[in-house]
Amino acid sequence: MLNILFRAAIAVSLLSQTAATVPTTFDVVAPRGLDFTLENSPTPQKYLIETMPGGVALLDYNNDGLLDIFLVNGGRITGPMTTPENFGRHDPRYWNRLYRQNKDGSFTDVTEQAGLANAGDGNYGMGVAVGDYDNDGYPDIYVTSYGKNILYHNNGDGTFTDVTAKAGVAAGGWSVSAGFFDYDNDGKLDLFVTRYMDWDTKHSHDCGGNYHTYCPPEEFPATTNILYHNNGDGTFTDVSKSSGIAAKKGRALGVAFADYDGDGFTDIYVANDGMQQYLFHNNGNGTFSEVGLEAGAALSQDGRRLSGMGVVFQDYDNDGRPDAIVTELPREIYGVYHNEGDGTFTYRSLETGLGILSSGSSGWGVGLEDFDNDGWKDLFVAQGHVLDNVEQIDPSLHYFEKPLLAMNHNGRFERVDSAAPAPWAGRGAAFGDLNNDGWQDVVMTILGGRPQVFMNRGGKAHWLTIILRGTRSNRDGFGARVQVNGQTRFATSSGSYLSASDKRLHFGLGSAEKAKVDVIWPSGIHQTLNDVHADQFLEVREPEKP
Amino acid sequence: MIHALLFLALAWQTASPQVTEHMQAGIAAEKEKNFDLSIKEFKQVTELDPSLVDGFLSLGQAYMDEGDYGSAIPALKHALELSPDSLPAHQLLGYSLLSQGYAREAIPHLERLPDKTTLGIAQIQTGQLPEAVANLQKALSEHPNNPDILYYLGRASGLLAKQSIDTLLAAYPDSARAHQAMAENYFVLRRMDDAEKEYKDALRLRPGLPEVHLALGEVYAGAFQWSKAEEQFRIQVKLQPGNAEAAYRLGESLLEQGKSQEARAELVRADKLMPDMPETLYALGKAASLEGDNPAAEKSWTKLLSIEKQSSLAAQAHFGLAGIYRKEGKTAEAKQEMQAFQALQPAPSPK
Repeated sequence: MLNILFRAAIAVSLLSQTAATVPTTFDVVAPRGLDFTLENSPTPQKYLIETMPGGVALLDYNNDGLLDIFLVNGGRITGPMTTPENFGRHDPRYWNRLYRQNKDGSFTDVTEQAGLANAGDGNYGMGVAVGDYDNDGYPDIYVTSYGKNILYHNNGDGTFTDVTAKAGVAAGGWSVSAGFFDYDNDGKLDLFVTRYMDWDTKHSHDCGGNYHTYCPPEEFPATTNILYHNNGDGTFTDVSKSSGIAAKKGRALGVAFADYDGDGFTDIYVANDGMQQYLFHNNGNGTFSEVGLEAGAALSQDGRRLSGMGVVFQDYDNDGRPDAIVTELPREIYGVYHNEGDGTFTYRSLETGLGILSSGSSGWGVGLEDFDNDGWKDLFVAQGHVLDNVEQIDPSLHYFEKPLLAMNHNGRFERVDSAAPAPWAGRGAAFGDLNNDGWQDVVMTILGGRPQVFMNRGGKAHWLTIILRGTRSNRDGFGARVQVNGQTRFATSSGSYLSASDKRLHFGLGSAEKAKVDVIWPSGIHQTLNDVHADQFLEVREPEKP
Repeated sequence: MIHALLFLALAWQTASPQVTEHMQAGIAAEKEKNFDLSIKEFKQVTELDPSLVDGFLSLGQAYMDEGDYGSAIPALKHALELSPDSLPAHQLLGYSLLSQGYAREAIPHLERLPDKTTLGIAQIQTGQLPEAVANLQKALSEHPNNPDILYYLGRASGLLAKQSIDTLLAAYPDSARAHQAMAENYFVLRRMDDAEKEYKDALRLRPGLPEVHLALGEVYAGAFQWSKAEEQFRIQVKLQPGNAEAAYRLGESLLEQGKSQEARAELVRADKLMPDMPETLYALGKAASLEGDNPAAEKSWTKLLSIEKQSSLAAQAHFGLAGIYRKEGKTAEAKQEMQAFQALQPAPSPK
């Protein structure tokens, strides 16, 4: 009768969410000119792609010092779909959009003049990755889709050219998050593309009993991720098989990069939905080994599979090592995998307080950023359930949720008011300093609605933002390990869900007015800067010689 | 089962050669599952010798094998007229009547049988729920883990519980117990706001109701409001310091909040109150592990595995042990535990 005495409580979601009475960090604003609507086109047929977009990128595409915003749109879905699929992407309503930031903080839609208008009728948009793959000093854009992906080369004159065919990076199938990183430290950014599952509209079906719902991932076959090696001549080679990446099929949604074992080679953490998470260890010879299980970074503390969606791979407890935080569905608390420094991870969701903050929520885009500049990275999570009718199935769960903002106090997270005026179906999230005031802001996408801009109110604490300028290493410095006054960041624009963040590395300094900066470049060069003044954007150029 | 009980009486073997011939042909056809032929042959037997019980029994059996329970009933009734104490005739007639929905008529026949399964099922249909529960419990003790009996026992118990609650709600709609019952109903429906309200109403009417604090705590726990859950479990523990479940629940709520030290103390108490509960042992190991006390975690999980070897908790214990051994550099042991963990995982989806 043990099961009767200790019957499992029927897991349900929050009765209400409580937030500590801490001063609000953000103002949620609607910048003039940012008029994008994420068209996910929900249908009665419940095509799974409808609930999965869309990405957002913060990048300075014209190098004017101001962050611009690129937003990925879904597409038109008519129910039922016929093949070949036509998502109506020629219609401006379904375009991806690039918004150039003006000096007054407003935005101008430059999509058409930048050459980014029509993403192809056969492509339902998902995510975005940003990186300077040809080291010409201008960030390039890679857009993922259900269908074909597109690589847009930044011409440096405010326009982009679709170079997908030449580059050979169209992928195919259902691509989700992607990211640029330099896995072989050859100074050229390679490209990793996650793919969700082997699914198409023809073989789609809905699930659920009395209520039609989107199907769980197990309904469809797993698939492989793709690794493209940058050849340095504008082309890429698909090395998924030879690198060992394709040896593991999964249901990937999120990806983040960091060198977790300090061997000088960037590793890959992949958030998989409804199964174990993958940690691809970079063997340093062009191959990867999936070590998630043996490293203790694949399952929950209780050995349960997780619905991994978004992931961030940064150091939350200032021990100098990257930890992985994975966002998930309700009844699975967000996973905190603490890097022990010996090649293994310990699940610390309960100890960090994140367990209690997340057990009733569905998390997507995620970032570890020091929003209050106190020297500890805080957590922001875009939230909202997968199922748009979840309340009918379980009244205690919610399709619309407010994002989670949790401040980091010596490695323990505490919820504060995110200032979101309403709950939404949050998905993508990108992080960066939109107004260059030294305080990190957030842009979050929501299904069927306008992107939400969380402008940081700022404060008195000091900060330092570092702009890496690789010379021997890749120009963006992706993969560099940067330490400032005991804090560590691993240079990347990747992580979160479907999104690309400001590549600049932001550090809160608290009361410190000076900082010591240590950079270990992917080339292996170790660079130290002492007595760096706080409250500035500092470009750190990699020495030409060791 | 029915088939095996047939042909106990072998009187037909002394019948006329013609009857014997048809009887043997019917039995042969039955073995071949040619029920149309067996029915035809057994009908011949009953016409040639209307006093032969076995002829009617065999005919009834053949109809049942063909799924024609309605046609079996007259033949079996005739068999009982010829031999009122024939156990096989009572059994077959009871089954046939029950299959046709005549539960009340079936019961006198089923009451004669040593196996009480079908009697319990019939009693569910006639609304004799306490009797049904008693008979199905007896049947279950003779056939442990039989899925049909487990199902019907669960159904009978559920209906009995519902009957009792319906009476409560009708007679005392404003009582504390009525609110408690309503709250439980809402809890099952996951209407947590309503469940919370009803439990609070129950407590307002009878503040001393100890089970309500436990249940209200479970509502909060189910909604992941662990600090509120902790508060209710603490009240429960104060009211009933000897309640192992309350101690376990309090420990669990503390654990979920990352208060591992307090959780561990409460779980140790739960373990003392009711030793060897796998759930407590698992949580105890988890709390110890969170505190970095790997030897204690190892001890709890190893003990759990001595009690449960195949359950999901056992899998979790193996997973936890693998983590401990990995940290301690015991690679072989860690690998062994991971293998045990993986062996207990459900088979992957065929897709």
